[in-house]
Amino acid sequence: MPVFVACFKWVVDEAYIRRTSAGELDLSSVGYKISDYDRNALEEAARLKESAGGSVVAVTVGIPEATKGVKDALSRGADQAIYAADPSFGTLEASGTATILAEVIRTRVGTYDLILCGEGSSDLYDQQVGIRLAALLGIPCISFVQKLDLEAGRVVAERRLEDGIERVAATLPAVVTLLPDINVPRIPGVKDTLSASRKPVVTIGREELGLPAEPRFRILSLSASRLERQCERFGSDEADLRRFAGALRQKGILR
Amino acid sequence: MAGIWICAEQTGQALELLQAGKNLREAGMAGGLAVLSWPGGPRPEDLGAGGADEVLLLPPPGDGQPLEAFAPAVLEEARKDPPDLMLFAATARGKDWAARIAGGLDAGLCSGCTALRWDSASGTLEMERLLYGGAAVLRIAPLSFPVLAAVLPGTFRSGPLTPGREARIRNLPAPPPSPVTVLERRPKERQGQDVTAARVVVCAGRGFEKPGDLALARELADLLGGALACTRPLSEELHWLPEDLCIGLSGIQVKPELYIGIGVSGQVQHLTGIRGAKLVCAVNRDEQAPIFAAADLGIVGDLYAVLPGLVQALKETTPA
Ligand SMILES: Cc1cc2nc3c(=O)[nH]c(=O)nc-3n(C[C@H](O)[C@H](O)[C@H](O)COP(=O)(O)OP(=O)(O)OC[C@H]3O[C@@H](n4cnc5c(N)ncnc54)[C@H](O)[C@@H]3O)c2cc1C
Ligand SMILES: Nc1ncnc2c1ncn2[C@@H]1O[C@H](COP(=O)(O)O)[C@@H](O)[C@H]1O
Repeated sequence: MPVFVACFKWVVDEAYIRRTSAGELDLSSVGYKISDYDRNALEEAARLKESAGGSVVAVTVGIPEATKGVKDALSRGADQAIYAADPSFGTLEASGTATILAEVIRTRVGTYDLILCGEGSSDLYDQQVGIRLAALLGIPCISFVQKLDLEAGRVVAERRLEDGIERVAATLPAVVTLLPDINVPRIPGVKDTLSASRKPVVTIGREELGLPAEPRFRILSLSASRLERQCERFGSDEADLRRFAGALRQKGILR
Repeated sequence: MAGIWICAEQTGQALELLQAGKNLREAGMAGGLAVLSWPGGPRPEDLGAGGADEVLLLPPPGDGQPLEAFAPAVLEEARKDPPDLMLFAATARGKDWAARIAGGLDAGLCSGCTALRWDSASGTLEMERLLYGGAAVLRIAPLSFPVLAAVLPGTFRSGPLTPGREARIRNLPAPPPSPVTVLERRPKERQGQDVTAARVVVCAGRGFEKPGDLALARELADLLGGALACTRPLSEELHWLPEDLCIGLSGIQVKPELYIGIGVSGQVQHLTGIRGAKLVCAVNRDEQAPIFAAADLGIVGDLYAVLPGLVQALKETTPA
């Protein structure tokens, strides 16, 4: 029976990020979420299982607080989760994340058919962990996939590129990185949430993994993006729309 | 030869990165400039004229092989004679290439790189990128070399060409056959205007109920002599407009005189694409929508009522 591995990341919800008056990044009131496009990866894995049978393993590398994310992932159709947890995993670079994922998948999942990743994570948007993971595991990778099918022993996928669509095939096992329009992720119901808490979770500490990957970069600075706009409001009645048109004219936009 | 290697699908993108490389060299970063090419890839004569010292020429891609199949050949060459920096044009293929090669070299890759600077006093290569959908700016420096960067096309402007200047050609061996094979290619028909060059951009968001309603936004764009663009849900989920009209982190960056977002909520990933706009306007019926905090002029109202009224008001203030 095929084994599908969905890689998901528990990330800061960027909608709650603020900028302090000093221009610093304010993460004090942020919430967390499963990275947007990883919900598509979990969904696609669940759908493949529904049509081809087999099982879905959800894998994540994250901080110990990500247990909530693990439960969320299990309520989205995965059968079990593997969770590499350490406080230091919150600041991993793509190279480090891919190294840990490769080790976890190699040693704890063992045999697998298809690894599904998002196209990019919502916080880093490095767009590289899935592709690096394939390189480390020495298996084929199909990136930027908008549609996929399993056929005997291979995956057939449509990639969306700047110059058009490329339909490709690769032998299994393989990694795919998914574009968000591949599916519409389910919204877990009460039953899904309840059954999620009964599903097996394997937690792996840093000490159970090989030597941690060396960082490749040092941080020179991290600052909040500046956004300075006038923020003038108009209503929608005729007088206000005329006032708006006048403002555009005054700024020399209307020719 | 250490130095900088450049990899892009198209000549124009390679020339932009050549200019970025020349800037680094002028600032004191040592080494030559080499550019990858292949039959059908960036034109070697233009690369020479654009400042390349060397063209690393790959053989034509095999039948049914994706362009990514080149990666192992490039990786092999980079292992033998490592460059300090590899710059990739961040197209889908370019990003794939970069990540494969970075994975193979166990090297750092700065994706979505927005700025590069060589500080000669400290011998530091400073790289910049966005985080959290664009809410934050991160500046980093590599701890090891080679280092890779994927740069969005359009980040650097290409410099003047020196006609007749030639680059050395070095032939690279053919890569082994890729386990990924191409079954079919469906080239995209280019449609619509170049939004990045438009003086006025009217951007439609999910506030529109059906594709036919976009005529309202188009009418406004026509009246203002502008181009129509959209948010990611319209191009990627609903497929109402082509993807090259999507503005934002995963789409295009625009710098028009005027941007008007209609039925656009103003999530940070979208706002990232309009930072360079001179004047930002918004129409949204939800006065709490984040776009209003990012707009110079905001109209609170239902777009279906506002647009006809706005077109009328603009016609009245625009001399015939
Ligand atoms: C990694 C990543 C990358 C992304 N990259 C991009 C990107 O490049 N570009 C991009 O655009 N998005 C991107 N997104 C998606 C982004 O987060 C938002 O989901 C998206 O921008 C929202 O699009 P929208 O404003 O059209 O839709 P919505 O957020 O659904 O907003 C619709 C708005 O229309 C208003 N509205 C509804 N009806 C009316 C009406 N009748 N009249 C007036 N107003 C009305 C509503 O009040 C609402 O504010 C990315 C997301 C991720 C996670
Ligand atoms: N910490 C992580 N744990 C599990 N999967 C991850 C992690 N980071 C990234 N991924 C996967 O790799 C994809 C690309 O991430 P990135 O390279 O950070 O843009 C994500 O969509 C996930 O599928």
